[in-house]
Amino acid sequence: MKDAINLPLFSSYEFDSRFYDELFSKREDVRSIYTKLFELFGSYSVSEFNRLNIQAKDSFFNSGITFQVYGDNEVNEKIFPFDLFPRIIEHNEWETIETGVLQRSKALNLFLWDVYHDQKIIKQGIVPKELIESSVNFLPEMINLDPPEGIYNHISGTDLIKHSDGNYYVLEDNIRCPSGVSYVIGNRGAVKHALFGVFNQYKAHTIVNYGSKLLETMQSVKPTGVDNPVCVIITPGVYNSAYYEHCFLAKQMGILLVEGRDLFVENDFVYMKTIYGIEKVDVIYRRVDDLFLDPLVFKPDSLLGVLGLFSVYLKGNVALVNAPGTGVADDKAIYTYMPEIIKYYLDEDAILNNVHTYHCSRKNELNYVLENIDKLVIKPVDESGGYGISIGNKLSEAEIEKVKETIKKEPRKYIAQPIMSLSTHPTYIDDSQSFESRHVDLRTFTLLGKDIDFVLKGGLTRVALKKGNLVVNSSQGGGSKDTWVLKK
Amino acid sequence: MLARVANNLFWMGRYIERSEHVARFLRVNYFSSLDAPDELSQSRQFVLRSVMYMAANEIIDSDIALEEEEVLYNVGLNQDTPYSIVNGFVNAHENARSARDLISNELFETINRIKHTIKGYSVEKLVKSQLYDFSIIVSDATSEIKSKIESTLLHDEVYAIIMLGIHIERGLQVARIINSKVSDASTVKNIYGDKVDGNYQWSTLLKCVLSYDMMRRSYKKTPERINTLEFLILNSKCPRSIKDSLNKMNNYICMISKQHEKPVNSAAFLIGKMASEFEYKLIDEIDNNLEECLANLIVKLADIAEKLEEDYFDISHSLEVKKVKA
Repeated sequence: MKDAINLPLFSSYEFDSRFYDELFSKREDVRSIYTKLFELFGSYSVSEFNRLNIQAKDSFFNSGITFQVYGDNEVNEKIFPFDLFPRIIEHNEWETIETGVLQRSKALNLFLWDVYHDQKIIKQGIVPKELIESSVNFLPEMINLDPPEGIYNHISGTDLIKHSDGNYYVLEDNIRCPSGVSYVIGNRGAVKHALFGVFNQYKAHTIVNYGSKLLETMQSVKPTGVDNPVCVIITPGVYNSAYYEHCFLAKQMGILLVEGRDLFVENDFVYMKTIYGIEKVDVIYRRVDDLFLDPLVFKPDSLLGVLGLFSVYLKGNVALVNAPGTGVADDKAIYTYMPEIIKYYLDEDAILNNVHTYHCSRKNELNYVLENIDKLVIKPVDESGGYGISIGNKLSEAEIEKVKETIKKEPRKYIAQPIMSLSTHPTYIDDSQSFESRHVDLRTFTLLGKDIDFVLKGGLTRVALKKGNLVVNSSQGGGSKDTWVLKK
Repeated sequence: MLARVANNLFWMGRYIERSEHVARFLRVNYFSSLDAPDELSQSRQFVLRSVMYMAANEIIDSDIALEEEEVLYNVGLNQDTPYSIVNGFVNAHENARSARDLISNELFETINRIKHTIKGYSVEKLVKSQLYDFSIIVSDATSEIKSKIESTLLHDEVYAIIMLGIHIERGLQVARIINSKVSDASTVKNIYGDKVDGNYQWSTLLKCVLSYDMMRRSYKKTPERINTLEFLILNSKCPRSIKDSLNKMNNYICMISKQHEKPVNSAAFLIGKMASEFEYKLIDEIDNNLEECLANLIVKLADIAEKLEEDYFDISHSLEVKKVKA
């Protein structure tokens, strides 16, 4: 592999020893797991690879795996950027990830039950009361409500990074409406079409079972007394950026995709309006945020939800997947207590590492943060999608001052973490017509149901397409890659 | 199936069918006129007016001179004109998107790809040199979409709703095309009497409905007023005839309607009644009063569409009046 980096497609590859490069162990040394794949990519001429790349993009576009961008006069469809070089995770490494994310999901579920019932963890001083009470995602309406089968976070998306020490760290838990799983499956399809021969060399786990497992999960939390539950997905509608995913999941499960206007509540049950009249609905996978679910209880002006839905939920006549109020546990301030939360409920040590976190709500930590912004990432605790994040070493002096002022105004709203060295992975850059190293993370998908614990053996590798950028979210211009988990 | 989504699928079928008819009407009229036997039929203004009448339902004042390129653009690719072919595909796509969980990937991907192709078609090419190419693309596209509907969907109520949309629209479009060409034929006859070949307008009419070859094979006669009208309205073997559309609508409404009895004035009742009426109609009865008969037909088809909305697509609700399934 001496000439590896001189191959046409890798001629712009800059190996940076400060980061964990997933392809090269050091400059010109390809990691053994990637050898076969690298040989394949190395054998392409620039024009051959360009053709494959364009074909893959066209297939996403023609299949309508797109999101819409609204301009002044017209609507444009865009594909989420996709990179053909897959990420490979070895079996042993995956086992740690899988047991680790499952452990977190279970602990979070127990934490949510406790938070909305006896609050023992607070009473015992393990998690501060004010963190819960001040969280905008804490829903008082959920207090003492028993969700079917005691499950809150049926679907969890856990974001992990591989640090320069070669270990995985959890960046955040997403247990409200984690999205991206449709791209996991779409990406696999595109890679299979483009690189089918290489699957003879790598035995990757399948990911097509997600839809079946999700439906089983939904059915397992049916309301009491229902034999064959009618399950649906509720979407905010065709203009939602994740609408493709909502359709995809409904189709995978063979269930209906509904909007709020298709449902109504009467006599304490939820019904949908079909061509043959009305039909009772038992389980709703909601892709509508908490505050838009029911205008009677939450935002009164919301048109996305269903009038009276929450009262039906309260009476146990419909199951909501995920339960309302889960956001209190994926708050970035709660995140810092995850090792303690896992220990408290499961009596186990956390399998996956947490990134050290400074709470701006604590005076001494706030002082440290204010003095060291250039070395930290500042995150709002209750935002998702990469919004509101400031990366200290990318800020000018004036910007640092502005961030300081923002934090001082509402310290509870912010946490800070050391700037983690997200691993890098070869990513094809159109402008240079070659692979360059870009930072990546990994989102895993976990399902919890009655007697169901499932982690999708794969995940969404998200890639920050801008050189040196650490924010990988699609809403911030990130792309994604297929992720292969190898069989034993 | 959700009532809202059923309505969208119904309209998806209608938009696809409509786009096909408008594109064919445009092509056949335009190219037939180039070597038409009389001066009026060759006149660009005459053709453009006929196209505007059929596509936009607009009767243009005689003192207004139409611009050829503008008409072609408005009917073909202008996204600001609701009747344009491109808007037909954009609307069909939007409707398909809202029912993406119910239709096959193959069908959605075809509609999606075709919408992009039509939207990206060069306006310059359409209005200056490639009208024929454009209209053939549209015809092929609608055939491909319909073949995906036929072969990749479960033949259940989802399929039946789409087919119902296609056939109600086909009935309406054929009636309107007949109306338009009968009116053209009368104008020509009033001006030239028997001095010109009267068969030209009837041949063009048959071609506009893609039925010329079928008619020639079936009747082995030169197209004239009566045999053309009979073929397009009452021939049960012609898949483009009004009678065939009504029979198909009747089949599809039976697939959707679970009731053996058809309540009086329900959509299923009205479709069945109309199909039965046409089963025993004679062309002389129609020809005696053609204009009124076609106008009636269009009104009745529109009434059926409204009734379908009431019976199946209504998204108001009440436990008292609607049967609870579960």
